[in-house]
Amino acid sequence: MKAVKRVDQFYLLKQLPKATALLCKKGILLDASCSWLDIFGLPPQDETTKTRVSSLYSEIPDLKRRLKENKSFSLRHKIKNTDGTRHLKSYFAPWFDEKENVIGTIIQTDDITSEVLKEQQVDWLNNILETKVEVSKTGWWEFNVQTEALTWCKETKRIHQVPDCFEPTTIEAFNFFKPGYSQNKVSMLFHKAIASNQSYNTKLMIITFNGEERWVRITGKPFVKEGKVIKVFGTIRDIHDQEIAEARVKEHQQLLSTLVDSLPLNVYVKDLESRKVLVNKGECNHLGKKVEELIGKTDFELYEEKDAQISREEDIEVMKNLTPIIGKETVSTLNGKTTHFLTSKIPHFDLEGKVCGLIGMSLDITAMKRKQEELCNLINITSMQNQKLISFAHIVSHNLRSHSANFSMLLGFLNSEKDPQERKRIIDMLTQASDNLLETLGNLNQVVDINTKTSETKKPLNLRNNIVKVLENFSALLDKDDSQIINNVEKDIEVSCIPAYLDSIILNLVSNAVKYKSPNRTLLITINAVKSNEGVLLSISDNGMGIDLDKYRDKIFGMYKTFHNRKDAKGFGLYLVKNQIEAMGGSITVQSEVDKGTTFNVYFNEES
Amino acid sequence: MKKVSCIFIVDDDPITVFGIKKMLKSVASCEDIQIFQNGHEAHEAIKERLKEGKIIPEVIFLDINMPIMDGWGFLDELISLDIKEHITINMITSSIDPLDYKKWNGFKNRCPYVLNFKNKPIFKIVANDLGCMDIAS
Repeated sequence: MKAVKRVDQFYLLKQLPKATALLCKKGILLDASCSWLDIFGLPPQDETTKTRVSSLYSEIPDLKRRLKENKSFSLRHKIKNTDGTRHLKSYFAPWFDEKENVIGTIIQTDDITSEVLKEQQVDWLNNILETKVEVSKTGWWEFNVQTEALTWCKETKRIHQVPDCFEPTTIEAFNFFKPGYSQNKVSMLFHKAIASNQSYNTKLMIITFNGEERWVRITGKPFVKEGKVIKVFGTIRDIHDQEIAEARVKEHQQLLSTLVDSLPLNVYVKDLESRKVLVNKGECNHLGKKVEELIGKTDFELYEEKDAQISREEDIEVMKNLTPIIGKETVSTLNGKTTHFLTSKIPHFDLEGKVCGLIGMSLDITAMKRKQEELCNLINITSMQNQKLISFAHIVSHNLRSHSANFSMLLGFLNSEKDPQERKRIIDMLTQASDNLLETLGNLNQVVDINTKTSETKKPLNLRNNIVKVLENFSALLDKDDSQIINNVEKDIEVSCIPAYLDSIILNLVSNAVKYKSPNRTLLITINAVKSNEGVLLSISDNGMGIDLDKYRDKIFGMYKTFHNRKDAKGFGLYLVKNQIEAMGGSITVQSEVDKGTTFNVYFNEES
Repeated sequence: MKKVSCIFIVDDDPITVFGIKKMLKSVASCEDIQIFQNGHEAHEAIKERLKEGKIIPEVIFLDINMPIMDGWGFLDELISLDIKEHITINMITSSIDPLDYKKWNGFKNRCPYVLNFKNKPIFKIVANDLGCMDIAS
């Protein structure tokens, strides 16, 4: 009976669905359910097998001691076999008889492999999340709508510079945002997320626990269950340093573009093909085009072929040899307008130090150039006048000296001369010297008048009429020997002139032609006048003796310079004419060939 | 009284010519005194004399400012004629232009003849002007 009972009891044990085993007090396996044996890979048990439980739990060295304590406990362990590792959890409980005496231990073992694997996966995912948070510096937070509990992750706390133990309330969390725009905005967004299920993503400023103002990017995303938002999940990322760096870059860009645009220079950046990649306002204004119309264009599309070619050659030079051009004077012609520039071109390098184009700067110096020219003209005029003054001073001193020297010499003779006849000759000479001196003084006076009375007003005078008037003086002279004067001057030509000077100029030039006529030819004088934009050109040509200009070009308009053996030549007429025409802002030139004739060209300046 | 074979006076101012001639009377005896209005005429005359083998002027009084060919132009031509005979040239001018004096200095160095520079007015012609060393001074 006892045996049957025992068999029954153990037979029941074998069939238990949950893996169960019984141990005697000595820790020897009495019997177990088939499922338990199966877990440990053991054969059916009887009195002879005597399996010690400690050998099955080799991982747990103090199992024996713990069994003796006669208390319930559980432990995790593993079994490795060919299918892999099985994770197990065993519950140990003392086994009592009817009289509550401990007679052994009951073990129940669960296979927890899938749970463990899940746990491992969760750990792994947590790890990933943690790493992500760490690497991206993006913290997260979570708000439970029902409990109103707010959770911050470690990184979120770090961003707020609060200790890890800090647990914020919603109000506290809002208060970290900078009062004003940031705080209002975040409350509004958070409210909308809960009330109308709207996600958000924005950039705001927080004031950290330590009082630092920092830019953060925050997001929020509501989670809905059964039509109601139950949770809001969000992230927070510290973007302060980037934001500041970005702001600084923007500031620099702003500064640079303002600078480049407001420089009184034409600035342009060209690529390796000399296409413009950047132009400033000055360059746009110069070319009369908008920025968009200039980007990508080369000089060939903007300037004349010749100018563009020069510019391109300079560009290549700069980019090939990496030697900058500094302050080179250049000229550009655009729509017929010429602009002078002081141009600099410097090679432009990319971040790797390779040349990628050039930076050009051109300073418009047209106005300066014009001033310089004016100045040069003024200097020329001044030095010419100075030259004239010096030569006049020499003329004066020379001519007056020669007369006074003659006086001294003659008076010396007179002192010692006794012969009355000779004395009379000397006195005649003295009279002649005195006349000469008077004449010279008269001439000099005339020249001084011309050069000092420049204020005498010019009047518009009919050229033809004045010529006709002067020629009347010559009529007696000309009739004598068939000489001819052809006056081709048109009726309506007017010149702006001082009347007396115009008469003097015509008279002197015509009488010059008469004086130096060829002995072999009948005199022919031709008078022409051409009106152009610059003024009127009067030409008086003859077929007379001519003059060797190779020898005398410098002297022809000089005072007291004569070139032919004529008693009535004084060397004063042309000097006077030149002074008169120049005093009126005009000029005179001469062309001549010996024994062919002479032409004097008189240019009248129409400006008053 | 120094005897001079031939004297040229090259000057376009009749008063100066008169003066020189008058002063010469008292210091030199010369049969052959020639007057020329300018350098060109004098140059032509010397060429003529060379061609015909006549005597070359021993003394020349030369003005600087003259038409057609001035004193400097005449000097240039004279030097290029390469005359072996001894000539004394007196440049006579009323010019006090330092440039003229400089020019004279330049000519003096390359002129094979005696070249004197005399500023007007002249009151006396000395022996030196006639090509003799003035032993008395």
